[in-house]
Amino acid sequence: MSTSEVTWGIARRSIVLITRLPSAFFPSLMMPVFLTISFAGAFSGIVELPGFPAEKAIDWFIPMTTIQGAAFAGITTGMSVARDFESGFYDRFLASPASRASLLGGTLLAATLRALAPLCLLTFVAVVAGANLHAGAMTIVVLGVACLGVGLCAGAWAVGLAIRFKSTQITPLMQSGMFLAVFLSTAQMPIHLLTGWLHAVARVNPVTNVLQLARQGFLGDVTWSTTWPGLVALAGMIVFLVGFAYRGMQRVIP
Amino acid sequence: MSVAVAQYAALSRRSLVTTIRQPRAFIPPILFPLMFMALSSAAFDRTTQLPGFPPSDSFLQFLICTTIVQGALFASIAAGSDMAHDIEEGFFDRLIASPVARTSILAGRVMGSFVFGFFQAWFYFGVAALFGLTVEGGFLGMLGVTIVAAMFAAGIASIASAFAIRTGSSEAVLGAFPLLFSLMFISGLFFPRTLMDGWFKTAATINPLSHMVEGMRAQVITGLDVSEWLSAVVIAAGFFVVGLTLASLALRRRLSVSS
Repeated sequence: MSTSEVTWGIARRSIVLITRLPSAFFPSLMMPVFLTISFAGAFSGIVELPGFPAEKAIDWFIPMTTIQGAAFAGITTGMSVARDFESGFYDRFLASPASRASLLGGTLLAATLRALAPLCLLTFVAVVAGANLHAGAMTIVVLGVACLGVGLCAGAWAVGLAIRFKSTQITPLMQSGMFLAVFLSTAQMPIHLLTGWLHAVARVNPVTNVLQLARQGFLGDVTWSTTWPGLVALAGMIVFLVGFAYRGMQRVIP
Repeated sequence: MSVAVAQYAALSRRSLVTTIRQPRAFIPPILFPLMFMALSSAAFDRTTQLPGFPPSDSFLQFLICTTIVQGALFASIAAGSDMAHDIEEGFFDRLIASPVARTSILAGRVMGSFVFGFFQAWFYFGVAALFGLTVEGGFLGMLGVTIVAAMFAAGIASIASAFAIRTGSSEAVLGAFPLLFSLMFISGLFFPRTLMDGWFKTAATINPLSHMVEGMRAQVITGLDVSEWLSAVVIAAGFFVVGLTLASLALRRRLSVSS
């Protein structure tokens, strides 16, 4: 089999697993919907803050919860790899003549594709809940770019950990790592309204730029000046996290 | 000490020691609310200036009771999961076969959660104090809050134990977690109800957790308020009575099936 056939085969298997083991994927799909309802409902009053950039709370929170959903979706791919290590199935992949790059590529392709599910569901929720799509279709396009990028990053992070620990017991670290990366940014408030240590951390956290990329269509027009910092941040995160997963894949022994 | 009291004490002690001996089980339920407190108090500090926000020194002062309730909720669900483990591993059947009082099986677990919830609440007050928390109600205010937290922890532990006894599965107990998590989110725990609107505000107003935490919060942000405290106590006691009734019924049913 060629490298591309192996990559696609691995990705296809990971996607099919969603239907075979829905209990592992379904919560990652419903959690962002629940977070959207909770954040937009509980914090509806924050739009009254002077300088708050959104007209409605849902405009501010739904890009963040969609990104969080993409991250959860990517993590479920890593969880599948950890389960395969526990059952010994992944050792058979490693012992096969398939290249390590194609094994990793297939898994990360699946993580990226899995991020489409929360994107579609939360776009539907946004429309039904009356979120402002100021930039029309471009609102969803830039949100989609951010989601797919975050899905890939989360998948690489989770797979990198799964390869190193070979156990589903590492799942809390996969989840809390992504949770912290998102919440130590402008997930809850814009940068100029943050205070103290969180302001300092959010300023250097690349996820702040990714959220700016994802949110821009909900807050106003899509412009290049608010797009490129997000793309650069995503590229940097992808290089770093895919490198982390690739190093682990090269060193792992069946 | 009568035999019955000795049995209650021994099983309460076992419940507490089981929790303390498993850092993996009790550290995350303690740390997650702390993490949420740190993130939210830094993120939402400016919202205390909003018109209609309860007069607070900081968002930390507003949020501390939420952290305490969150911690009690998480730890008590873990206690219910431990009860299910006892059933799965056969320890529960050995207890039934022994001459121990049946009610002590449940009371031990619930009392263990009461004690854990009480000290956990003091721990949260201690951590928040390091970051500048002031409690207007002073020591008595904090004592009032920790008593409500302990009663609430016992109530949630009873509900989780009812699930555990009924299903005999720790997965089923953990499966009930999203339900309780929703109850917590759709409430006034994280933001004042005065700043909510629409159906969410209605749902938060119906939710008894909103009123319980507001009664606790009054002791922290305005000072000692007995009527507010009593309303919180009544709601926590309500959780306890409902939970204990459900757990007792589940226990009776399991015992009748076993015998």
